[in-house]
Amino acid sequence: MVILMMKLKLMKFKPFISSIIISFLLISCSDNKLSLSERSIIYCSEASPETFNPQLITSGTTIDATSNQIYNRLITYQGEDNKIVPALAKSWHVTRDGKMVTFYLRKNIAFHQTSYFTPTRTLNADDILFSFNRILDKSHPFHSISGGNYPFFQGIKFNSLVEYIEKINDYTVRFKLRHSDNSFLANLATDFSVILSAEYAGQLANKNTHHEIDILPIGTGPFKFKEYRVGSLIRYYRHDNYWQNKANIEQLVFDITPSNTSRLTKLLAKECDVISYPVAHEKITERSDLKLDSVTSLNVSYFGFNTNKEPFNNKLVRKAISFAINKQALIETVYHGEAEIAHSILPESSWAHNEKILPQEFNLKKAKQLLDEAGYTDGFTTDIWAVPIQRAYNPNAVTMAKLIQADLKKIGITVNIISYEWNTFLHRLTQGEHQTFLLGWSADHPDPDNFFTPMLSCSATNTSSNRTFWCNDKYDQLLQRALQTSNINLRKKYYTQALEILRNELPLLPIAHSKRFQARNKNVVGPILAAFGGINFYPVSKVNISYDNTIKSNNTKKMSVQ
Amino acid sequence: MLIFTLRRLSLFTFTMLLLTILSFSLSFLFPGDSVINLSGEVNATAAQLVELNLEYKTDQNIVIQYFSYLSHVLTGDLGLSMASQSLITHEIAILLPATVELSLVALLIAMFFGIPLGFFAAIRHNKRSDNIILSVAMIGYSIPVFWLGLLAILLFSINLGWLPSAGKISLLFEIESITGIQFFDILLSDSPYKWQAFRDASAHILLPACVVAIAPATIFIRLSRTSMIEVLQTNYIKAAKAKGLSFKQIIIRHAIRNSLIKIIRHVGLQFANLVTIAMVTEVIFSWPGIGRWLIESISQRDYTAIQNGLLLLSCFIFIVHILIDFIYAALNPLARDN
Amino acid sequence: MAREKIYLEEVFPSPFMQHWLIFRKTPVAMIGFACFIFLTILAVFTPVLAPYSPIDGNINMLLLPPAWHDDGNVSFLLGTDELGRDMLSRLMYGSSLTFGLSFVIVIVSLVIGVVIGSLSALTTGIKSSFLNHFLDVILSIPSLLLAIIIVAIIGPSVSNTVGAIILVLIPQFVHVTRYAVKEEFRKDYVLASKLDGASSFRILYYSIFPNIVDRIMSQATLAQSAAILDIATLGFLGLGAQIPLPEWGAILANGLDLFYIAPWTVYLPGLSILFAVVSTNLVGEGIRHALKLRKES
Repeated sequence: MVILMMKLKLMKFKPFISSIIISFLLISCSDNKLSLSERSIIYCSEASPETFNPQLITSGTTIDATSNQIYNRLITYQGEDNKIVPALAKSWHVTRDGKMVTFYLRKNIAFHQTSYFTPTRTLNADDILFSFNRILDKSHPFHSISGGNYPFFQGIKFNSLVEYIEKINDYTVRFKLRHSDNSFLANLATDFSVILSAEYAGQLANKNTHHEIDILPIGTGPFKFKEYRVGSLIRYYRHDNYWQNKANIEQLVFDITPSNTSRLTKLLAKECDVISYPVAHEKITERSDLKLDSVTSLNVSYFGFNTNKEPFNNKLVRKAISFAINKQALIETVYHGEAEIAHSILPESSWAHNEKILPQEFNLKKAKQLLDEAGYTDGFTTDIWAVPIQRAYNPNAVTMAKLIQADLKKIGITVNIISYEWNTFLHRLTQGEHQTFLLGWSADHPDPDNFFTPMLSCSATNTSSNRTFWCNDKYDQLLQRALQTSNINLRKKYYTQALEILRNELPLLPIAHSKRFQARNKNVVGPILAAFGGINFYPVSKVNISYDNTIKSNNTKKMSVQ
Repeated sequence: MLIFTLRRLSLFTFTMLLLTILSFSLSFLFPGDSVINLSGEVNATAAQLVELNLEYKTDQNIVIQYFSYLSHVLTGDLGLSMASQSLITHEIAILLPATVELSLVALLIAMFFGIPLGFFAAIRHNKRSDNIILSVAMIGYSIPVFWLGLLAILLFSINLGWLPSAGKISLLFEIESITGIQFFDILLSDSPYKWQAFRDASAHILLPACVVAIAPATIFIRLSRTSMIEVLQTNYIKAAKAKGLSFKQIIIRHAIRNSLIKIIRHVGLQFANLVTIAMVTEVIFSWPGIGRWLIESISQRDYTAIQNGLLLLSCFIFIVHILIDFIYAALNPLARDN
Repeated sequence: MAREKIYLEEVFPSPFMQHWLIFRKTPVAMIGFACFIFLTILAVFTPVLAPYSPIDGNINMLLLPPAWHDDGNVSFLLGTDELGRDMLSRLMYGSSLTFGLSFVIVIVSLVIGVVIGSLSALTTGIKSSFLNHFLDVILSIPSLLLAIIIVAIIGPSVSNTVGAIILVLIPQFVHVTRYAVKEEFRKDYVLASKLDGASSFRILYYSIFPNIVDRIMSQATLAQSAAILDIATLGFLGLGAQIPLPEWGAILANGLDLFYIAPWTVYLPGLSILFAVVSTNLVGEGIRHALKLRKES
């Protein structure tokens, strides 16, 4: 009887057992897939890009996704000292008075060939003219499509700086400036100054589908666009005719994963090779097959006030709130100690940083006093708009908002915390819907002007990168003067004066400067992060790490960073 | 049979009517302009707005507005999603098959494991193994499915590294979506990595399907156990025993078949329950199905998506229900006089 | 000498008492019942019992693991979350939200459902078949989906969740009551009362209800376990309790961000939900077991 029972049991489970065996066979026989994954990299990013053309935005997410991957610039940064080196332009010449800048272009630079465009010629001066005239010339056919806003260029007053661009011959371009400007070359080397294809633009104009230039992009970069699924993935293929050595990886996929835990889970489960803004650094460092990258990034995170709205148009209120926020606690909680308290918007590594300017004091009594003085003894209610995703300058703005909420409660201010999906968030901030906000800035180039102008200048209020809507003529004047002289000491003096104005007016409260982190699988080699600007996958390759830990390189060609 | 069909058809029309009226009234209950809620055109210029108002006949009384809405729905125009500004019909056409795929695989797993276990428990009725199976089953349907999903990922994806934790398939494979059901699409595609993709897709569906399958499996265990116990106590089984058939023969030749008939009907009814559990599981495993989409739309206050997504989802569930009822009644005449 | 009793009185316990006596003899059911009572006491008396506030955090005690870990602190028995809030207190307050609210939901939907169900059992004809159809439709949609739909319409918040789940559970009670009352109506003792001249209402109240109480209670435990899971799931999806209410599902969702740094913020709320649902189900099983035994004897 017992034997019968056992036989019966086994019989019932036979199909069960065999299916388990089959499914294990199916799963474990995955060695062939290695060849596809050896040649590809999956990067888990934290948000969708707003567009595929960096000219149109200032958001770091979009820059990360597009600039270094699909496009090139005339000149770029290289090396430890961030020197400006040639890229699409093989050399350049600046006249004595600084008003004419001539670029000599390289030959034989091929544009991407995709399912929607086949180039018939290589890069020439027409492309340079097209890319910049689109921004400068309001009557240009491509100026207003996709909104007509070029926030970075508008912020640096590109239109009033550049008088015109001239084509000297097919491979020579000249910029005529209205006055000399020290940051001109630096700005042309940023991730925003990409070169588009004039031939592609012409093709689109003929079909009357102009807007496609920003959503189906064509550039000269190491990767070309294949596919974009909103909120889900971006797929790039290697550009085999790249003007430098072609990239090591054949397929680059951006897996868009806003949740921090999901990104880390995918890294741990080997579904992503590299992830952005990792949390739980210990989890990564304790595993021998993963590596944590960090870079001292030029950035600042701040608590900003919408100076167009009451009561934040009152300087005393802004000062009161600044006294009430405990920045040290924020560094310990939100950044887990891995950041420095900000003295001003400039990080210590910037040459314009001034030791004499001390961080904003934390003093509840003074805060209460100032609030009384301003006439708000009973406090008031306000909202804080917090960035929903991790940024280099702020790993968790919502938690920071909750802590500030608790801080402000002590002086009688009630806070509502508001957050939206990233692009919706930026869009609404532009409309000025907020009262206060937690945001930050990552530098695009090492010149200090990049901190002062896009965040707080008057022209930046119109282009939406100055979300405090604060506008101070004296401040703007100082910045202009600093741009027009090349005497470093004089520039430093101007910037110090500008910082003092900021300390008095407090349109925003700088909180911290943070490192930028990234985590990757150890078999991904090559630098991806940079101290400023977007990430770059061109120098990256995948190696085979065998079980006895000897590294056999897949492809030993050394790629020169452009 | 005819009367049954007519009754079911009347139920069907009645419900469809109810669902569309509910969905239509939502556009007025949601905040904002009702026309924008219906069509999803948040960025409409003033001129486009006028056109929209004409299309949806907002200047006339509510019955006519309802019929214009109904005509839009029947022609397949469900408007744009407010968040992504793409056609809702397109989005759902991709998402719904994904959920169906997950639910079907989970249903199969639940049946495959639940029914035999239930039979086994019935045969060992009131003995130790019966009680063990019942207790395990009880924990199975008491556990919150989202927590179970997280634990499963922790164990199988991270600690053991056996199965992936998110998505339908590795992003490196580019499989064109023809039918929407991934496994068919892979077989139909001409990618050189066909078989690897198939293996990869199976690995991706295994964990979420198992997580979804646990609660229904426990229900099947109970159902089959009850059914088998009932069958074992019937007279014809006693007669077979008296005739001298061995236990094994009784079970295989008579008991299983008769018990199965009683269960099949419930299998169909469980489908709706499964789809709901699948919706929550999709959020955990980032499975690109309609559940995750709907829940995201609710968080983002995408009213058009909520309205029309709900309509489609409820219709779908109801249609499946009626179909199963129908098939069962066609097969089993006893069920028709319900 | 006074003698207490000469004859043994025959005691005929009421059906309810009969069930209770059988219930008492099942050890597993009694364990479940004890846990159930424990949770109820917790839900009611939490403001008195909890050591800390569930909303204000202690900035110096962030992300503390539970006391049995090396880095733990005995005064924060189950650890703290990322804002320094004590997990134990949050879970205790959460019991009044997840468990306590489920209790309230069941009682409200029970009362409404039974009333509607018994009234509808008395009616016949078109009204009855209309109600039949309507119930069929609602019952074919799973409770969680219906709750999500309702919350999608009226917006996410705890009170809306409660309302939605009440609306969703009422049809179940209506169905069970209708079925049970209709079944009892066919029995002889009801016929006897009717012949005596009792009105329908009287029959309902005095004769039928005592006999169907147990079936309704069994349905109530099923409904309660469903309600607990639904509240927790909606809280987890962000459609129920909003920040910073310490509902168990919401605590779990919050802990998800910290899963790798502080896994206890995910394990503990899940265990609490499991505990509550299992104890409710054990009580339910005990009731159904008692029902079955009484029917058989």
